[in-house]
Amino acid sequence: MGQRRKVGAVKAPSSQRDSADASGAHSRKHSICMVSDFFYPNMGGVESHIYQLSQCLIEKGHKVVIATHSYGRRTGIRYLTNGLKVYYLPLQVMYNQSTATTCFHSLPLLRCVFVREQITVVHAHSSFSAMAHDSLFHAKTMGLNTVFTDHSLFGFADVSSVLTNKLLTISLCDTNHIVCVSYTSKENTVLRAALNPEIVSVIPNAVDPTDFTPDPSQRQDDRITIVVISRLVYRKGIDLLGGIIPELCLKHPDLHFLIGGEGPKRLVLEEVREKYQLHDRVRLLGALEHKDVRGVLVQGHIFLNTSLTEAFCMAIVEGASCGLQVVSTRVGGIPEVLPEDLITLCEPTVRSLCDGLEKVIAKQRSASVPPPGSVHTRVRSLYTWRNVAERTEKVYDRVAGEEVLPLAKRFRRLKSHCGPVAGTIFAFVAILDFLFLLLLQWLVPDRAMDVAVDATGPGGLWRQKTGKRSETESKRATKQAAETKTQTQ
Amino acid sequence: MEDEAFTDISGKPITLDCQSHSSFCREFTVSSPKVSIGKVMVYTCSVWLVAYSVFFFTQNTAVLSSAIIVTLVGMMLYIHFVKVDHESLLVIGSLGLQVSSTYASGREVTTFIEMDKIRDIVINEAIYMHQIIYYLCVLMKDQSEPNGVSGVVPLFQSSKPRLSCLVKVYKSCQEVVSRCQ
Amino acid sequence: MGADGAPSQSVPWRKVLWERQPFPDNYVDQRFLEELRRNEGIRQYRYWAVVKEAGFVGQQLSCVAVFITLWLYMEQGLLAPEVLLWTSLSCAMLGYGLHQALTSQAESGCETRTHLADLQSAALFLSFTFGFSPVLKTLTESVSTDTVYAMSAVMLLAHLVSFPYGKPSPPGSLSLNAALFASVCLASRLPGALHTFAMLTCALLVFALWPCLLQRLRENAPCQFTGVCVGVCVGGVGGLASQSLGGAVLFSLALVSVTLLCPLLLIWLQRHKDNIQGPWDEAEIHEDLSNFLH
Repeated sequence: MGQRRKVGAVKAPSSQRDSADASGAHSRKHSICMVSDFFYPNMGGVESHIYQLSQCLIEKGHKVVIATHSYGRRTGIRYLTNGLKVYYLPLQVMYNQSTATTCFHSLPLLRCVFVREQITVVHAHSSFSAMAHDSLFHAKTMGLNTVFTDHSLFGFADVSSVLTNKLLTISLCDTNHIVCVSYTSKENTVLRAALNPEIVSVIPNAVDPTDFTPDPSQRQDDRITIVVISRLVYRKGIDLLGGIIPELCLKHPDLHFLIGGEGPKRLVLEEVREKYQLHDRVRLLGALEHKDVRGVLVQGHIFLNTSLTEAFCMAIVEGASCGLQVVSTRVGGIPEVLPEDLITLCEPTVRSLCDGLEKVIAKQRSASVPPPGSVHTRVRSLYTWRNVAERTEKVYDRVAGEEVLPLAKRFRRLKSHCGPVAGTIFAFVAILDFLFLLLLQWLVPDRAMDVAVDATGPGGLWRQKTGKRSETESKRATKQAAETKTQTQ
Repeated sequence: MEDEAFTDISGKPITLDCQSHSSFCREFTVSSPKVSIGKVMVYTCSVWLVAYSVFFFTQNTAVLSSAIIVTLVGMMLYIHFVKVDHESLLVIGSLGLQVSSTYASGREVTTFIEMDKIRDIVINEAIYMHQIIYYLCVLMKDQSEPNGVSGVVPLFQSSKPRLSCLVKVYKSCQEVVSRCQ
Repeated sequence: MGADGAPSQSVPWRKVLWERQPFPDNYVDQRFLEELRRNEGIRQYRYWAVVKEAGFVGQQLSCVAVFITLWLYMEQGLLAPEVLLWTSLSCAMLGYGLHQALTSQAESGCETRTHLADLQSAALFLSFTFGFSPVLKTLTESVSTDTVYAMSAVMLLAHLVSFPYGKPSPPGSLSLNAALFASVCLASRLPGALHTFAMLTCALLVFALWPCLLQRLRENAPCQFTGVCVGVCVGGVGGLASQSLGGAVLFSLALVSVTLLCPLLLIWLQRHKDNIQGPWDEAEIHEDLSNFLH
């Protein structure tokens, strides 16, 4: 036996049977496989999106499994909260947690997952993930419906984006449906992959509002605190922040900065702090765990975001949800995210950001800003995971009725969409993939593969178990061996 | 007790023999098919053909004799160390588990696990080569920590039966184990 | 909100996410891609302006040709090292004077280097090269002549490729080093130590000092600069022609394609430029933020 795993005690899932049963009746149930290179224990927007969306879909009675690559010793199969099954496949990581792609080597394992879980829809996430593109490719070869969610924006100018855009065109030309997180992101993806905009849906990200509640008692009233929470990298505009800090700190002696996050640009902030002797007023908190974010946010009055590019900025929604006044750069999808009265948009220059901040500081001093509680109630209902899951479910319903292109049509599509050279090459790769699939089907026929025990989905055992525990326990002990991780998102 | 036919993970037929010695003592034997004479012939012939073609070009008789030795030694090693004919699991309620494998040569390897070292017997999933399979395994108790697990001992490692077979063994085992606790 | 719901035309669609709108998620509005901008801030090139710039590349090609011609003459014994040495020295004096004139004509704000310092470094260089020329002469003796030629050719090519044509500065260290390496290789195949010395002095003149002078010329006297470029090109072709007619024909073809055809190609391809910009582009920081730090 190749992979031995740590085994822990089972954690009884919270009682979500009622809500699931209530919403269970209206539409058909899907078996969804989410594929991405990025998943827990890695942390970020894509990871939490996949996790939260999966949880809500499970709640709605769909079967969801997640496939990702192995992280260190975390290889094999794990169960998370509510029986969410995660396959950590042993694929080689190449760069930045993304797997190497050869277009073929991941087929045996992914086929195994798709067959034994009886997957009907493959949902790949993030255009940076090679595994996601591989899975789309294989799913189409195996005749499964495909959905892709793009989480990022890309330029068109440099060589690397020209290449990735071409690969995206190839990967998405015969994908059934694409989901983007904002309208700007949709425009970007449609242009990059030369898509028909009709097959691209916009479904924003969401924030768990219960995690981000305001607490004005944590604020110190003798000062005004500006909170910045972001990775300290160039793309997040930390250089701009380095210009803003001295400018404003010299003008307002009661202004304090609270900066959470880690990255190479930390040096810039440290230099600024050193030069202007602001050690007591600019606090660098270093990398924050997700559960600590709220604790930092509630200490502030103003949330500042200096990003230079952003598809959908979760951070500003989290900030607003904690009742802070949000000041942000007007880039990417940010203008779409919050209503005008909750956000102050500035151009990505030090001048404009300072002006915006001064305006908000003045408002704060005159106490003409809405109280944190009322801001929270407004933001709370804007973006919820349930809503995201509902809209994604509609995408699945639509996709399930569409045909997966047969091989001959797929070739024609590739050639007509991706140009004569790349189209021909990838049509050839698709043939090889198909032949490889035939070989695998001959080596290990589909009927020789055990159908996996359902933990989620219609008749999922996880849910039954909470009710009829003693009966099912003797029947299936599989889940007992699974390590249950409760992810704190 | 009749033999039941199952298949292993690559689709080859195997049989499961359940013997109930008493209410708290059961024995499960998974038998793989014997070494088929056709397979032996194919391997031998291919080694000999290669050896003869090498001999044809080199005119060195040592090639032929080494081919004979390779075939013989290879076959002996194969039946002695690789090919498992039967794998059996003897569950004795109050005592423990006896796991034994019988090789094609007749060699038998037996290990015994005491009951008080066993935490549970479960069916688990793992990635094996390019497949994802179910397997039956014994969870070993961690002596220092009452709820911890110090290790996993997989059962039926050579025959690798499919889930239907594993479930049958699992249920039977659990009956015996639960009766004794 | 569904993917297949029917859009009602009564409410206009807005590009916002926070509002639940009565449109399906995959709704495509008229305003879709309205913020797309094409070829913003594109530079329209004029043919003769590009030719003028490309002439500088041709000029540098010709410099290499002139240098090789001189080397060929030396190797065949048609040019005495003394003659080359004296000519080089006088050219250097002349060029230095011109350089000084051009500098003082423009601005002499950062005049930190005195004539004495210039003279000092020139003397230092000359005496060292003279001292080491016997060593350099025998440096590549154990290497086969073919290898030396191949290496020189590669190095001269590297010099041409890495030469900073665009920005007005003295030649970059890579291009200068490549050229000097090539000239050491070539000079070591000459008959005597004095030959080597003369050749290296000439190389320094052609590859290090001449571009500096040319740069001044380009800044302060653009008309003369064009003339000089044409002159050097003619010199290069003529020099090669006196040695090998075929080489000269090939060289002039290369010059024509670099200075006349390539600009034509650039202008033609310019029409196919399709650069798209939009709100998804990463914002650029235009301000100089270093003043906050230093």
